[in-house]
Amino acid sequence: MSATGVSLDVARELRSICGHDNVAERPVGGVYVCPGSTEEVAEVLAFANEHHLSIGPAGGSTERSAAELRTDIVLHTNRLTEVEHYDHGDLTVGIGAGATVAQLNLMVGADRLLFAGDPPMPDRCTVGGLLATAVYGPLRHGYGAVRDYCIGVRFVTGDGRRGKGGGRVVKNVAGYDLMKLLIGSYGTLAVITSASFKLFPSPRQTKTFLAEFATANEALQFRDRILRSPLSPVCLELVSPGARKLMRPEMTSDTWVMCVRAAGSDAVLTRYQKELGSVITRELEGDSEQRMWRAIQNFGYAGDGRDDAGAPELIYLSVWPREVPDVVDTLLKQSALSGVDVSLIGRVGVGLLLVRVADKEAGTAAIHKLIVVLERVFGDKITLKLRGAVNPWPIPPTNLASMRAIKQALDPNNTLRGRNIF
Amino acid sequence: MPSPAVLAQLRKIVGLDALLDRPEDLMLYEYDGGVRKCTPAAVVFPQETRQVAQIMKLAGSAGFPIVARGAGTGLSGGAIAPEGGVVIAFARMNRILEVDAGNMRAVVQPGVVNQQLSDSVAHLGLYFAPDPSSQKACTIGGNVAENSGGPHTLAYGVTVNHVTGLTVVMPSGEILRFGGKAAECTGYDLTGFLVGSEGTIGIVTEITVRLLRRPEHIATLLGIFETIDDGAKTVSAITAAGITPAALEMLDGWTLRAVEAACHAGYPLDAGAVLLIELEGLAEQVEEQAEAVREVCFQQKAREVRRAKDENERGLLWKGRKNAFAALGRLAPSYYSQDGVVPRTKIPAVLQFIEGISQKYGLRIGNIFHAGDGNLHPLILFDPRDPHQLELVQAAGAEILERCVEMGGSITGEHGVGLEKRNLMPLLFTDDDLDVMLSLHNAFNAAAVLNPGKLFPTTRMCRETSGPSTNPVLQAEGM
Repeated sequence: MSATGVSLDVARELRSICGHDNVAERPVGGVYVCPGSTEEVAEVLAFANEHHLSIGPAGGSTERSAAELRTDIVLHTNRLTEVEHYDHGDLTVGIGAGATVAQLNLMVGADRLLFAGDPPMPDRCTVGGLLATAVYGPLRHGYGAVRDYCIGVRFVTGDGRRGKGGGRVVKNVAGYDLMKLLIGSYGTLAVITSASFKLFPSPRQTKTFLAEFATANEALQFRDRILRSPLSPVCLELVSPGARKLMRPEMTSDTWVMCVRAAGSDAVLTRYQKELGSVITRELEGDSEQRMWRAIQNFGYAGDGRDDAGAPELIYLSVWPREVPDVVDTLLKQSALSGVDVSLIGRVGVGLLLVRVADKEAGTAAIHKLIVVLERVFGDKITLKLRGAVNPWPIPPTNLASMRAIKQALDPNNTLRGRNIF
Repeated sequence: MPSPAVLAQLRKIVGLDALLDRPEDLMLYEYDGGVRKCTPAAVVFPQETRQVAQIMKLAGSAGFPIVARGAGTGLSGGAIAPEGGVVIAFARMNRILEVDAGNMRAVVQPGVVNQQLSDSVAHLGLYFAPDPSSQKACTIGGNVAENSGGPHTLAYGVTVNHVTGLTVVMPSGEILRFGGKAAECTGYDLTGFLVGSEGTIGIVTEITVRLLRRPEHIATLLGIFETIDDGAKTVSAITAAGITPAALEMLDGWTLRAVEAACHAGYPLDAGAVLLIELEGLAEQVEEQAEAVREVCFQQKAREVRRAKDENERGLLWKGRKNAFAALGRLAPSYYSQDGVVPRTKIPAVLQFIEGISQKYGLRIGNIFHAGDGNLHPLILFDPRDPHQLELVQAAGAEILERCVEMGGSITGEHGVGLEKRNLMPLLFTDDDLDVMLSLHNAFNAAAVLNPGKLFPTTRMCRETSGPSTNPVLQAEGM
């Protein structure tokens, strides 16, 4: 039934747009639709607007909220996988939003190039999902955020208009930077249908140096030493004892580990060894190195066999780099007070922490308590996002009025209401 | 045009000595680094954010347009006022408010000169990465408005990659804060959206920037080539070798001779082209890359590869590059600088095309540009006293940009659209694309109080088939 009261067979209408095989009715109500082109996405959105239906865009559903799946129409991007342009000499690629990050990396990896996005579960995480949620992995330290290397985007606005920002060259300031607006907007403004990216030369070799410390504070002093040095590692990751146990259950050590991943020739790696000094307890290369970074990349996500979607038990914290020791200290104190086990890892060189509350039952309440404390103690020195929450920003953005104005401009009928951010 | 009463109100807001309205004073504000001109009705010099907000409210109620202006070094007409408009000049909001070395951030007012920021944090081993050629004069506020680049943005990214927070006065007069010192923001990335919006969404009055640590080692090489084609092919060969230099600049033979005559940078006078290549980072890595770059240059038929022996020689090579535009001023009364971008593998082809345009129009065109990221700056020399020449120059420039777009590129890499390229926007964007951008513009600046007539084409979009446009952005021409 549409909002106008006229009986409407949504599935039949969508099949006429996207083809019979690309629409399915969901047992829980609502319809899945998989458009095969930007034109079809625009038609689906126009149809939804006309009939006041809600749409939840979906990629690999690694970050989805339950609400997105409760919309009238779940719009999957899985058929939007076309490579729009790729010339390895230009170090740029343009690809459909439904391609997975793993597919993209496989393609460019064959030419010894690197796509710097390394989100959790790259086999499932799509390019569109990566952009919509601005999720990141350990390479965030050395290569920046996806906002730094996304050079173009094509999309359909909530009200069904096709749009474009940027292009396919690495430097381009023509028109508004709509990439920035859509990255991290959680599919509330538009459905991203394809994007272009700057690529990087793949490092010929890497080595990871591990240093263990009795306390987080000592580990973070080591971080400061690295940040003041001439070294520029591609990853710089702090792993708490709890996180270490989650990733390697056989490990029983209570130490904090700082993981420094360096890229370069033998001479460069030898220089790292020299600069990092005797504090290094282990060096990893090859498969063991890959395994460790994959575990860090997927921390808090895959690996325990359950469907990861929907559980708001992981906080993405962004902290002023100098405040990281105090934030970690506060987290540990709160953990001890509440009795809820908190583990964390982080790209601490740029002030990013992923905090996981291990006890699933107590998780949601414990996380909200933590957030209240963090907000009270640190104010504007932190920002945070909750994975899989209907509203990813539990501390409300300070510019909701501007955000509303933008929402009104691109999605006036609130068709994209899988997330409730206002 | 603001009435005398409105001018009196403006004086009351900024102070008696902070408003100019005499024709001889206003002449200094009628142009930027481009070729367009328009005399503003007045220029005001606010000293604090609160005054900017008051000016904005007054503009809204009295109905006059306002345009923010830094140093006026822009090349696209972005800081030029429309007829009857008031310029808000940021010369007196030029303080570095905070240097937070621990968090690698600085908070600055928009009138701070780009170079001044890097100089003021040099003793901490830090610097601000975006380095437009005009960095000795251009302001950070202007950099934010245009999302400026520079030679070293090849490795480090343009202005938007180095801004984490803004204080903005919106067209409503409201003062908002977007982002902050943290790497990630809460909510939509309004900071990223504002940077490069060419002063059409809000006026930025405070900027939080990211500072970088100075590299321990730098190698500056000069690859000398017999032909421009050999030089151009070397650009993508360097990238294909897996090397991302900090900067990779190209000057054609004709330009470098003009530069050498003016700057005595040590450039060879008989070369077809040179590449200025800078490598930065860990000493071991830089030395390996320098050797690899030399090899690539020689594989691509370089005649010679020189290396700056010390900071003095390095400074000279860069002096030549950064003063090149000015050096060409010795050869003709004026020049028109283009800012097209092509995928870097297309550089040889586009340079051949530009040579053809030079012959077709009988105009002298020099090439000096950010080769590493395919950002061309063909400089077309002309005499502005001859109106016919200006027409030819603009037609030649448009043809070059059309070709850049056909090759998969863009009409502007770092100078912005402004007045100069607004009617070329349809080369890149469809009516629908522009309509989406316009709806965002109108979400904040529907009455076009702020910087009207910029960025959006004045040529009517297809939808509007008859009658005058009802859109205030499209109506605001008159310059």
